[in-house]
Amino acid sequence: MRTLDWIVLLSSLISIVLYGLYRSRGSGTVERYLLAGRTMPWYAMGLSIMATQASAITFISTTGQSYTDGMRFVQAYFGLPIAMVVVCATVVPAFRHAGVYTAYEYLERRFDAKTRALASLIFLAQRGISAGLTIYAPAIVLSVILGWPERLTTTLMGATVIVYTVLGGIKAVTWSDVQQMGVIMLGLVAALVTAFTLMPHSVSIGDAVYLAGAAGRLNAVTTNFDWNDRFNLWSGLIGSTFLFLSYFGCDQSQVQRYLTGKSVSESRLGLLFNAVAKIPMQFFILFIGTMVFVFYLFNSPPLLFQRAEMARIQTSPEYPALEQTYQRAIERRRDAALDLARAHRQSAADPALAAEYRAAEREVDLARTRAAALVERMGGEKGFSDTNYIFLSFVIRYLPQGLVGLVIAVIFAATMSASSGEINSLATVTVVDLYRRHFRPNASDHHHLLAARWATLFWGVYAVAFAGWGKRLGSLIVAVNVVGSLFYGSLLGCFVIAFALKKVRGTATFIGMIAGEAAIFWTFFHGGISYLWFNVIGCAVVVGTALLVTALWPERENQRV
Amino acid sequence: DPPPFLGSWRRVYGAVLLYLAALIGLLYLFTQTYR
Repeated sequence: MRTLDWIVLLSSLISIVLYGLYRSRGSGTVERYLLAGRTMPWYAMGLSIMATQASAITFISTTGQSYTDGMRFVQAYFGLPIAMVVVCATVVPAFRHAGVYTAYEYLERRFDAKTRALASLIFLAQRGISAGLTIYAPAIVLSVILGWPERLTTTLMGATVIVYTVLGGIKAVTWSDVQQMGVIMLGLVAALVTAFTLMPHSVSIGDAVYLAGAAGRLNAVTTNFDWNDRFNLWSGLIGSTFLFLSYFGCDQSQVQRYLTGKSVSESRLGLLFNAVAKIPMQFFILFIGTMVFVFYLFNSPPLLFQRAEMARIQTSPEYPALEQTYQRAIERRRDAALDLARAHRQSAADPALAAEYRAAEREVDLARTRAAALVERMGGEKGFSDTNYIFLSFVIRYLPQGLVGLVIAVIFAATMSASSGEINSLATVTVVDLYRRHFRPNASDHHHLLAARWATLFWGVYAVAFAGWGKRLGSLIVAVNVVGSLFYGSLLGCFVIAFALKKVRGTATFIGMIAGEAAIFWTFFHGGISYLWFNVIGCAVVVGTALLVTALWPERENQRV
Repeated sequence: DPPPFLGSWRRVYGAVLLYLAALIGLLYLFTQTYR
């Protein structure tokens, strides 16, 4: 980070905060503070929805993933447009018509207070874990690559988010999200253009795409079905539809974005904007990773991109031979890539050249796999992977002055936009579903506005504190992240019953949710299948159990929605 | 609330799903072309 980089980074952060606060004037009631007085236009909601969903890890990890594994991760978003259509047709008009602040408030009108309380607590548990990780995960990467102390990074990001989220409420969150999406897109385009311009002059863009494809990195659609394979066409279409139905239908951090809309139409257009733009955006991010891969065909990549672990294995007696093997493989791959690109330009496809290129690529992969195994043997992280360090290592080493600051601003902007949405929604559920509902139902609007500000401050400080404590979790951090996604299935089942099964009442749904949660945890510990299927299983168990309980013990209750 | 284009929400949803099908088709062609 040089002077110009710092200027770009700090001016981006300051302008985001000031713009968010400027646009948040007039947030002096609970409805304005938490729902922007329901005045938001569709484009602000749409960009805010996308910014909330895309955290820093989206950029750091996704680019690294396509570098090592290709573009098949894009399939995990195939269910999103389907989910958006279902949410627009059912959830949006229902929530708007009921005039609710939170998704869980709707559950009390449809079922009873205990179902609302259980759903609220599940949300607080899950988002509470996630809010800390959103800030912590990029801090680890920045500390390894830039040498910044983790606590400094988490405090800087957290404090910035707390300032505009506490002072400006959801208006500040939404308008700063809009600006953050601008910074994110600008930074990504700059990274892609730089990757192209730094390639050898003899390699055209067409050659680069051809070389990425020949190495199996452009595998955007894979049609084989395998329960254990995380990303294929089927887990993408079926599993991710359920995942995004849960995320956009039952998770207050997203529900609150579209409840701020001027009308049902505006809310729907915001969600459909996301449906249309999300897959191309993910494709673009993954494509950047594949171009970084091609760039490194001609510029020697390190054996491991994680410097601390690289230093660890350099002390091993096995290291010199491993490094020598790796360098030979890199040279062999570079020569094969140049030959293949030349043949491609002359339209002289030669299967032998392609086979040589792929064989050299396998050798490089094998050396990196052996290095990762050596890290584990020498007491490093179990299941070590340097995926999250690839893109930023490329940025720091090769991008020109100013652009490094811009990409770091992207990491900050993505962290802040995801984190502010989480903190804001956690505060909303705390005040609306718990405090106002159970403790001070008759207090004034001003009292609840103050409570919402204090709750926002509490969750912001909690997220920063959790991020500081995250260091002690070590490699468990990944497991905790997975655990965070274990709660969606039962929430989705609850809402499916609310909308589709009018005969099922509160107690049956409550029992179903507990059974669904138990089924998901059992699958997690014993099933060994891709997490994209957890939501399908959880939802099915909730609905099945609730129907069974209703058939055996019919309830009599008033249904108020 | 009517949508600002295509006349009805049902048509808008149909258009989004057609767009998804076209996108998956294009990505499949992309994969086959460059493998």
